Parts: sequence; structure tokens; C-alpha cells
Amino acid sequence: MNLMEEIIAAVDEMPPFPQVVHRAMQVIAIPEYEVSNLVEILKVDQAVTANILKLCNSAYFGLPRKVSSLKEAVVYLGSDQLKQLLLSGAASKIYEKPSEGYAVFADELWRHALATAVMSQVLRRHLRLKIDENMVFTAALLHDVGKVVLSSFVSDRYIAIESMVESGDYSFQEAEKDVLGFDHAEIGGKIAESWDFPPSIVAAITFHHEPARSPKEFRLLTELVALANNLAVMVGYGTGVDGLACRGHGLLLQKLKLEEKDVEELILLFQMEMEKTCDIAGVSER
Amino acid sequence: MSLVTIGIADLKVSNNPEDTLVTYSLGSCIGLAVYDPVAKVGGLLHYMLPDSSINQEKAAKNPAMFANKGIPLLFKQCYKLGADKKRMIIKVAGGSQIMDAAGTFNIGKRNYAILRKMFWKNNVMIDGEDIGGNCNRTMYMQLDDGKINLKISKKGMVEL
Ligand SMILES: [Fe+2]
Ligand SMILES: [Fe+2]
Repeated sequence: MNLMEEIIAAVDEMPPFPQVVHRAMQVIAIPEYEVSNLVEILKVDQAVTANILKLCNSAYFGLPRKVSSLKEAVVYLGSDQLKQLLLSGAASKIYEKPSEGYAVFADELWRHALATAVMSQVLRRHLRLKIDENMVFTAALLHDVGKVVLSSFVSDRYIAIESMVESGDYSFQEAEKDVLGFDHAEIGGKIAESWDFPPSIVAAITFHHEPARSPKEFRLLTELVALANNLAVMVGYGTGVDGLACRGHGLLLQKLKLEEKDVEELILLFQMEMEKTCDIAGVSER
Repeated sequence: MSLVTIGIADLKVSNNPEDTLVTYSLGSCIGLAVYDPVAKVGGLLHYMLPDSSINQEKAAKNPAMFANKGIPLLFKQCYKLGADKKRMIIKVAGGSQIMDAAGTFNIGKRNYAILRKMFWKNNVMIDGEDIGGNCNRTMYMQLDDGKINLKISKKGMVEL
């Protein structure tokens, strides 16, 4: 097997994206869905149920009494909180696998993914982009999932990638592509495909370092994820291995005629939102 | 020894010689470390943005997020513990950029520029700095001797 075939095999062996999350998201997407339908789906998964109750009873919400029924918790949290909890619960498990090659701190990739998701939400909301909220959140959350798989294959080639990046002329993703023949974005797209995510999300993941190559109908989503990734990395929610060695994709900022002050304000809003999210999700900001 | 973490948009001061202050993953943000070797008082600030005028109300709640609010506050808190401005040793790290020829993502540069301007106005000299590039930095300060160590992505540990 050549390297690409080995990696494709590893992609096939990835644990599936939890069906319960996929199905719950479909129900929540229906306007005025039946709460009991949602509860039926969720209660099958004990871990998910426990998480929902845990969040609901966390100090963050400070409820006067303990909530012990799943239905009550679902009603209390509401669909927005619930969607984010379900998606981030699934994603955190995927990212928190220990990775050798891209020897990053255990939760570094996960924190970066979460920051990118929060950043993309802030951008979508404040720039009033007409684009589905779940789609944005999911694509941003999973954009670097390819690194999870790639990490265990780079081993001895990692030094070559690193020294290309050090030369200053190559981004981390360009160095990956040069050394391996493909990059983590491409692999991430293949993983999302194998998980039956829609083509929009697959495209946003595949092209998050080269948004201009994304098909036209998915371009806005891809540009948004690319920009959110840039800003998250810039303000310190990146990973140690690649540092700030990624190319800037500020096209969206230029198109929307945003100025320095606007970007600063977005970063301010992001940081406040991120602190809240870390609090809820129990992630250390570090 | 105890490790005291300074988060993003945060500052802490100490006069406990057992402490090591640390702030992780400085990208475009700036880490400012100040230390008085006589009083053995030190502080570390990790700010994100140059100027709080973008949102005064939120700035009041998060002064350490901004250079113009966080820097004076850092000095003031050190003075409270007995530090003297004349003895302060000042070290600065961060202000990195992503790879962007268009200059759209230049907050790191502006974070550094405002610090220089404020220091110049107040006659403060910088004793050591490691600024810019596209690396990620973690900054440590030992309270017993004020030594500053930097962990730089792709480079490893260096003393500043
Ligand atoms: Fe990436
Ligand atoms: Fe990323």
C-alpha cells in the first residue's frame, strides 16, 4: 500500500460520526418539532443523555433545583444550546484522541476547533451572512479533523514538513502537501464524506486553506471557515506545531468592507463568547 | 514552586518567590512582563487588542484585553506590592502575524506599536523583546529572580 492508500484505510476505520447526533439535528431542524420525538432519539445514547443533564445542572445555569428528566432538560436548554452541545460533544471525542506525529497537547486540537466554531458563529451573526447556522458551526468544528488521522502517519516525514515551514516560505498546509502529496484539509474532506455530511460541509473542510478553489455554491461557507480559522489562530487559539504559519484569507473582510476597528470589535466579541463557551463545555482556556 | 497561569486577556502580579507566572500561546497578542529585582515583585499581562475605544463598556469589564488599559493597570498593581518604576525590568514577547501579504491581519503589529508609543511617552525602556514572525510563544517569569523564558514554536526554549 502506498501512503495515500494507507490513509484512506485509516479514514475507513475512523469511528462513525454518532448517528444519534445526526438524527437529533434533523429533528431540531424542523420548525416547531415535537420535543418528545427528540427525547426518543436522545435517550438511546446514555452518554449524550448524561451530558445534557450535566450541563443543565451545571453551576453555569444555577438552577434552584436539580433537573433529572431528559425532557425537562431539553426544554430548558432550548434548541440552540442543545445543537451546540450535541455537535461539540461528538467533535471533542474525535479530536481528543492522543496524537503522536503532530505532538500537540492532548486538548490543543480540540480547543482550536472549538475556537474556530465560536469565531465562525460570531462572524456569521455580526456580518449578517445568510448562511445556515448549523452548517457553519459543524464545518468549523470539524475543519481540522484530517489532522487527527494524518498525525499518526507523518512520523519521520514530520521533520521535513517542519523544516519547510521554518524556511518561512511555506505554510504548514503547503509543506504537508509538498512532503506527503496531500494535506490534512483533503483528508478531512474525505472523513466528512465517509460520515455522510452534505457536500457543502465537505467542501468547506477540503478547501479551508484554499477557499478560492471551493465550488462557487459553497464558496461563502468556505471563506467563512477559512477566515474564522485565520482569526482563531491569530489570537492564540492555534496549535503549537504550525504556529501562525497559515496563509491569510481576508477576502471576506474586504468584500464586506470591514476596517481594522471592525475586526478588533469582532475579536472582542469572540473572546467574550469563547470564555462563556469554555465555561459551559468545561474546556480550560489555558 | 507553583505555576500561576495568566489567560488570554488577563494579568496577574505576585511577590511570592516560589511562583512562576506563565502565559500560553501568544500569537498576535502581546505578553508584557515587568519585574522589580529589589522588591522581588513581578507581573505578567497578556493583551489581545491595542485600544479600548472600540467598546468602552466592555473594556471596563476586561481591562486586560487592551494595551491602553492593561499596561497601566499592570504597573499599578506592581506598585501596590512595593515595586518602583525606576527599577522595573521590562520584557515583551508576541505580536506574531499569519502569512498575509495583503496586511489584513496586522493586529500583532498594531499591538506592538501602541506599546512602543505608550512607553516612549512615559520614558519606559524595554530591556528585552522577541516580537513578530509567524511563531507561537509561551512566556514564563520566575518570581525569585525575574528570569523570563520563552517557549517558541519550532524553536524551543530560550531565555529572554
Ligand atoms: Fe487546517
Ligand atoms: Fe485550523
